[in-house]
Order: sequence, then C-alpha cells, then structure tokens
Amino acid sequence: MKCFVEMSHKQEEIPSCDGIILPLEGYAVESICMYTLEEIKEIQKSFSGEVFVKVNRNFFNEDLDGLKFVLTELDALKVDGVFFYDLAVLQIKRNLHLSLPLIWNQTHMVNNVRTCDYYHEKDVSYALLGKEITLDEIKEIITKSKMSCMVEVVSRPSVAFSKRKLISNYYSDLGEKGEKELIVKEKVSGDIYDVKEDEYGTCFYLNTVMNGTSIIQDLYEVGCPAIIMREYGVDDFYELVEDTMDYIKNGCKDSSYISKYKKLGDSTNFFFKKTIYKVK
Amino acid sequence: MKKIELLSPAGDLERLKVTLLYGADAVYIGGQHYSLRANAKNFSVEEIREGCRFAHQLGKKVYLTLNIVFHNEDMDGVEEYIQQVVEAGIDAFIVSDPFIISHIKKNYPQVEVHLSTQNSTSNYEAIHFFEEEGVDRVVLARELSKKQIEEIIKNISCDIEVFIHGAMCTCFSGRCALSNYVTNRDANRGGCAQVCRFSFENEDKKEFTFATKDMNMARYIEDLIDIGVCSLKVEGRMRSLYYLAVVIGTYRNIIDDIYSHTLTEEKMKVYEERLDRVANRETSTHFFMRDENYNDQYYGGRSEVSNQDYLGQVISYDNEKNLLQFYERNYFEEGDTVELFTPNGDHIEFVVEELFDKNKEKMDVARHPDEIYFIKQKLLIEVPEYSMIKIVRRKK
Repeated sequence: MKCFVEMSHKQEEIPSCDGIILPLEGYAVESICMYTLEEIKEIQKSFSGEVFVKVNRNFFNEDLDGLKFVLTELDALKVDGVFFYDLAVLQIKRNLHLSLPLIWNQTHMVNNVRTCDYYHEKDVSYALLGKEITLDEIKEIITKSKMSCMVEVVSRPSVAFSKRKLISNYYSDLGEKGEKELIVKEKVSGDIYDVKEDEYGTCFYLNTVMNGTSIIQDLYEVGCPAIIMREYGVDDFYELVEDTMDYIKNGCKDSSYISKYKKLGDSTNFFFKKTIYKVK
Repeated sequence: MKKIELLSPAGDLERLKVTLLYGADAVYIGGQHYSLRANAKNFSVEEIREGCRFAHQLGKKVYLTLNIVFHNEDMDGVEEYIQQVVEAGIDAFIVSDPFIISHIKKNYPQVEVHLSTQNSTSNYEAIHFFEEEGVDRVVLARELSKKQIEEIIKNISCDIEVFIHGAMCTCFSGRCALSNYVTNRDANRGGCAQVCRFSFENEDKKEFTFATKDMNMARYIEDLIDIGVCSLKVEGRMRSLYYLAVVIGTYRNIIDDIYSHTLTEEKMKVYEERLDRVANRETSTHFFMRDENYNDQYYGGRSEVSNQDYLGQVISYDNEKNLLQFYERNYFEEGDTVELFTPNGDHIEFVVEELFDKNKEKMDVARHPDEIYFIKQKLLIEVPEYSMIKIVRRKK
C-alpha cells in the first residue's frame, strides 16, 4: 500500500512518501496550495516518487481550450495521474488520444463497486473514494471492484463547494472589506468550518482533522492500493508521513503508531458512522 | 418548430394530476426508492402506473427521478425496480449515476434517460461524454449564464433542460455534503437537511448565513426558447397543490402567449404578481444574465413569508343553483373579493355575497380549514375539479 500526500504550503523538501499530489493553479479547487505547470515540472525533476496532478474544477465552455492544453502538457510530462471531477477531462483524454492515467475524484460521489467498475471500463485508472462512506463500504469496494482505489485517511475534509463568492458577497452586503477566509460555527451542532474563497468559488472545510490512522491496518489487510494524507490543518505532518511510511513498511503491526496518533483527535468522520436519509 | 416543454414536479398522485391539468407537459416524480427527496410522500409502483396512465391519456409524460448517489447497498434490487417502473409506463428516468445510465440504455433503449442536475454539467465536452453513453437529455447545472447555455446547445445534439423557478442550492449540486456533516443526513441520497439555510456565526459572533434566494425566470422564457432549450423545469416536489397550480398555470400562460405573440407588458405584470404571491422568498435570476452577487443570497438572516391567499379547493359547481362547493383552506368572509381560477386557465374575480356551511346554513365567515363551504355565485364558465379560490382584497 502506497502513501500519497498533498501539501498545504510550498516547501523545498517534500516528505519522504510514495507520491505527491499537486493541485494545478487555475484548474483545481478544494485545495490550499496550488502549483503552476512550471512548478510541477521542477518538482517532477527533483522528486523520486509518483507525481499526481489535481484538475478537479467544474469546467465551463470557456475553460475547455485551456483544459485541453494542460491535459496535453501533463500527458507529455508523463505524470502518474490526474485527479478529475468534470467528465470533460475524460472526454478530452479520449478525443486527444492521451495516455494520461486518470483518477475519478467526484468528491462525494465515489461510493459504490459498480460505478467504480463502470469507470474502470472507461479507462479510468484509479478512484479516490468518497469520505462520507463507512469503512465497511470502503473495504467492500476495494475487495470487489476492479478499480484501484485510494482512500483519504488524514485531512481536514472538504465538505462543500460553491461557485458563489460567499465571503465577498457577505462583506459586500455589510458594506465592508475583509479577508477571503472565515471561520464559522453552525449554531446548533457547534460544528466549525473553515470557509475559503478564490476566483472559482467558495470551499467549506471541516475545522477538525479526520483521523483515519486507526483504519490504515484494515485498508492494508484488504489490499488497498493507496492512502492519502493532506497537510492542511495537521500538526507535525512530516513526522506523521514518515511514521506512516514506516508503519506500512512493517505491515501495519506497530500498535504504538495508533497510540501516538490519537493526538490527531478522535474524529473518524464516517468510517464508523452511517449517514441516514429517511427521517420520517 | 417543437414547442418547449413545461416540466413540473409532483410529490404525489394528486399533485401529478393537478399540475398536468394546469398545463404542465410532463411531470417528474420520485419513487419510494432512489430519489433525492427521500422524505417526500413519493410514488409506489402502482401509483406510478396510474400516474403514467393519467398523463398518457392527456398526451403528456412522466419522468422518474433515480438520481441518488448510490452506495453499495443501494444497488441491491435497483435493476428489478427499474424493470417494474418501465413496465408501469414511465417515459424517462432522471439519473446521475453513469452505471445506472448504461444499464437502462442497454436494457430499455425505448426509455429516455435524462442526466440529473446532480451532476452539475456545465460544458459541452462533458455532455459529449454522456451523449456517447446514450443520454437523451441533460439537465444543466444551475450555475450557467445565457451565453454559456447557448454555446452548449450549439455544440451538442441531445436535448437541454434548465431550471426556471423555485429553490436553489448554494453549492454545486452533488458537490455538497454539509448535511452529512452537520446533521448526519445524506444530502446525496435524498436526506438533505438544507444546511445552507441554517444560521452560522463567525469568530466575531456576527451572524453568517448564505442561503440563496429562489429562482424566477418568468421574464426570460422567450430567451430560453430562442436559444433552443427543450424543457423548462420548475423545482418543488414537496410544494403544495396551490403552489403548483399557480406556478404551472402562470408559466403555461407565459409560454402560450409567447408562441401566439400575445405576451404584453401588462400581462407580464399580472403573471409576475401571481408568481410573487405564492413565493415565500425573494427571487433572482442568479447566474443567467450576470455574475452572481450578494443580492442572490440572504446574509445576516433571511425573511421567509407565507400568506393566506389560498382560500379553498373547489369540489363542484352546481350551475342550476349557482352553488360553488369547496374545501376551505384559509379564513375569509362575506364581502371579501376573491378570484376563482381553473385548470382551463380562467380567472374570475367576484365579491363573496352569500356564504353557507356544509349544512347550507348561512354564514358570515369561513373559518374552519378542511371543512366544506358553499358560495352562491353565478358563473358562466366551466368549473372543473381542482379549480381553486384565492383572496384578492379583504373587505374594508
């Protein structure tokens, strides 16, 4: 099982891991730190692991020429995979006969075996599973689907994305100016969210770290191809990545790893909690 | 030229009938499984069969939403369910999951598949992908401008459907799990708790809300016809009979007037007034004519108002005794000016001069919802089932 990471700031030194995920400036959302094509080229030269690029915006007609250009460039760079949300990416790959490996990354929608298999048949190489399904559901997908799956195990999950400029609009309504970031609390549940806006819209992140270190062993045992850790909001991230690499290398048997990373908090997102949808 | 379709929601069989009678060309409904309104009444397979029979007799269509984001367990039984619904006579499925799309097109090529707005499809290359999968129609993302919709239509061959009226999501459809996190209710399996309408506070303890105002495209229907949109969709499977009758009846008038070149500014103002009276939020055209801005949302609180305009649903009219029998819905009294409106498009205004209870005892006021009352009034029109009465002016 490989461990891929996404950084929240640009550092000379990349943590020792199997692969890095680089959100492409202008083409990615729900990420903190963006990279230009030139920066990706430079990182590719110096980093020995796999390089993945995030191209996960909802695209509009006027974006399509630029999208074709960057996908062609990434194909030429032979990056190890492109995370996509919009089906335009898959269609353009087909039309331009690109060999670029794709990762199905429709944030909250990657939730079942058969749809994973469907995309596998459409020449999609990997699926990043949704974060709102249980560990049992994840294990069932990994074991039954032909698709190679990735599971995000440590992050502040991105919860929602709007095309609207919700923070700018908020300040406009007040007749004030402010930063493009807010921390807001839902009054009844007390849940706190980081709200961040850029030119493509507004993203809500959970203000709590999803701590899936305790499920890594389960994932390892069912043959999960890769886990993902995202730096944003996670303290001592380099150490965490280093320890996780060792933990996996040693067969996920070292219980002190689990004990040590209880410090990330007790939020296990939906790994052990089923959502409901009928309330009557 | 094919006339544009007016597509209405229907939360149950009675709403289906009412909205088709008031002028919808087609309705979209949810079954008891796999619909994004899990908490609406929804339709059994037998009710779907009856709804299809009713619609087809009128030369109209019924579409079934099958647009949840499927988990493993949801796949159990879905193929059998699709077969049952096809046999019940459904004209199209509204689907978001591409596996389900491929299953339907492979096994039931005679049935249309419409790509749900849950996919937030916003460009023509994504539509090309789904066209190759056999999708007959795409319900576009609600974040598109007129220019973008027009350009999409020029570059694709399938039908295009757009939302024209009703509540809007704040986020891209399908790209929001706020409900999952805040309430544990799965937004993408029909349990959305509409957390975007909840109240938040920022670090300064100031209120932060970001609920969107509703959509109202009444003034832009002609633009949508001109650019080649095939279907106009009204939101609201959980809306009332009265709301559907007014909204669908009004859009029917607008569309028919456009095609007959009889839509005047004076008529448009009447239609807008009707739509405004049934709205409980302010409205906007959102992304259609301009970039979105702060006028499209409620910040620092919101106002949602409801009125008591709806007075009653007609049961029958005795044209010998001039007696209009109806179920009362809201208080009114003798001397009030009311309007009777019918599925045939008639709108008749009159002053209530004689009011009786169910025992034909004379009354001054109608004050008990759901009870039967009578108004004596000579009417020179046909008054079919599902005609309704609303207030125009209270007596002074």
